[in-house]
Amino acid sequence: MTVNNMADPRRPNKIFRYKPPNTETNPTLEDPTPDYMNLLGMVFSMCGLMLKLKWCAWIAVYCSFISFANSRSSEDTKQMMSSFMLSISAVVMSYLQNPQPMSPPW
Amino acid sequence: AIVKHLLCIVRLHQGGRYNDDFDDGEDIAEFDDNDFAEFEDVSEDPAVDVEKEPPPRAAPSSTPIEDDEDEATVENEDGQDEFEDADAQDQDMYSKYDNEEFEGYEKTNPSFKNTLIYREVPAHLQNSWESYYMEILMVTGLLAYIMNYIIGKNKNSRLAQAWFNSHRELLESNFALVGDDGTSKEATSTGKLNQENEHIYNLWCSGRVCCEGMLIQLKFLKRQDLLNVLARMMRPACDQVQVKVTLNDEDMDTFVFAVGSRKAMARLQKEMQDLSEFCGDKPKSGAKYGVPESLSILSEMGEVTDGVMDNKMVHYLTSHADKIESIHFSDQFSGPKVMQEEGQPLKLPETKKTLLFTFNVPGMGNTSPKDMDSLLPLMNMVIYSIDKVKKLRLNREGKQKADRNRARVEENFLKQTHTQRQEAAQTRREEKKRAEKERIMNEEDPDRQRRLEEAAQRREQKKLEKKQMKMKQIKVKAM
Repeated sequence: MTVNNMADPRRPNKIFRYKPPNTETNPTLEDPTPDYMNLLGMVFSMCGLMLKLKWCAWIAVYCSFISFANSRSSEDTKQMMSSFMLSISAVVMSYLQNPQPMSPPW
Repeated sequence: AIVKHLLCIVRLHQGGRYNDDFDDGEDIAEFDDNDFAEFEDVSEDPAVDVEKEPPPRAAPSSTPIEDDEDEATVENEDGQDEFEDADAQDQDMYSKYDNEEFEGYEKTNPSFKNTLIYREVPAHLQNSWESYYMEILMVTGLLAYIMNYIIGKNKNSRLAQAWFNSHRELLESNFALVGDDGTSKEATSTGKLNQENEHIYNLWCSGRVCCEGMLIQLKFLKRQDLLNVLARMMRPACDQVQVKVTLNDEDMDTFVFAVGSRKAMARLQKEMQDLSEFCGDKPKSGAKYGVPESLSILSEMGEVTDGVMDNKMVHYLTSHADKIESIHFSDQFSGPKVMQEEGQPLKLPETKKTLLFTFNVPGMGNTSPKDMDSLLPLMNMVIYSIDKVKKLRLNREGKQKADRNRARVEENFLKQTHTQRQEAAQTRREEKKRAEKERIMNEEDPDRQRRLEEAAQRREQKKLEKKQMKMKQIKVKAM
């Protein structure tokens, strides 16, 4: 609006580079969901493998999917893939050991 | 008799299985013979039957055996129904069966049925997918999640692009650098948004008078996460655009000011370090300054409010009150209050002159890319604010008041941390002493050791004397 009447406000000599905000000093800025879901997924898949509970393994798969959906793009894909693979293997192992279908809790 | 046959068949089948488990070579033949022992006296037919009959697979196979007998009785009627053209001879044959052969049999039939146990086939051996319905449910859920992820991601991406397209011109005419991710060597405009997440997009603009730089964050709803979508059905939320303008020291005078929705102001006053310290009074209603009742104002002093709320600002606020969540100008901005752990010596948090704007995207979650155009006037307001803040200067009184406020806050802070800093100093002194003692101990030459010890003792003595002098002085003063 008034910019047209005034001189060009741009100053190429006053450029500052972008600095990503330091999240260590301000932990409230970070969203903890992907980390929690990752941890939960691993715990559930361990439970599913050790205790041979099918529903644990399925919940682990869901957790790793949720963690992936909420993850930051800067995060390591290796960790995502590893938790995902772990949960899939938990499901597969549960069914190999006991091919019976899951019974609903009701 | 038939019951006995079936039971023996079952036992035989089981016996056949257990045969493998017997390690001692106890006569397997003998075992088999014993099984058949009871039948030795009976006519050959049962034994033959036993060998011929396939191992029973529980209910489905037991019923055919039974059904054979039943069929003989039932077939009569069925035969009559289905084969109306059947020979009379056939019928006679069946009826002969019925009347003569099975007279006694029918009586024993009921008891036969009662003692038979129907076993269910384990679900995973049945050739039907129906028993796996829980698994199918799970997989369907996963597919739904993936579909929602793709759809949500695309929607967020489209919204971000629409926002950028409508704002690009304004930004490029105001800033020399539009779009920077901080990684490239040269400071050149990338001209596009930085995707941090599937729901957060950043844009850094710099190179303008009156400010250091401007960070715009498009904080969309987590449309890519199905759980979040379901949670939002209970608790509606909206997309937000957050603009943070960082200023150089000369770009802003010393004041703290905030205006926004009543809820947001109440929350910020509690959360933000600078607002809680400098704006102690409760938020004032905006109606006093000509803006809608829904907005309230937090300010360090009245002069600041009068300075900021000029006609143009009031006009902006009034026409876009529904989209404004909060506007926060501060020279002491350090972010939200940080919970410090005990025992850590506190340092005054670093402050930076900042203008912080939070806007709500209209639509309450159901936004379309067209809605992004309605945010353009708000960006104009941001630019206007940057220029305005540069020109806004407090008069002498105001400046004095502001300086006093800042000194007061610093003093309070130092008082609070006094004990902690004392403890820290104490520990440091003890560390020094210990280090010195170590040095003395490690000294090999006994003479030098003695000399160092004496020097340390003398120093200690001096310190004590000094302290005593101080105490005497204080006592004299007290008197």
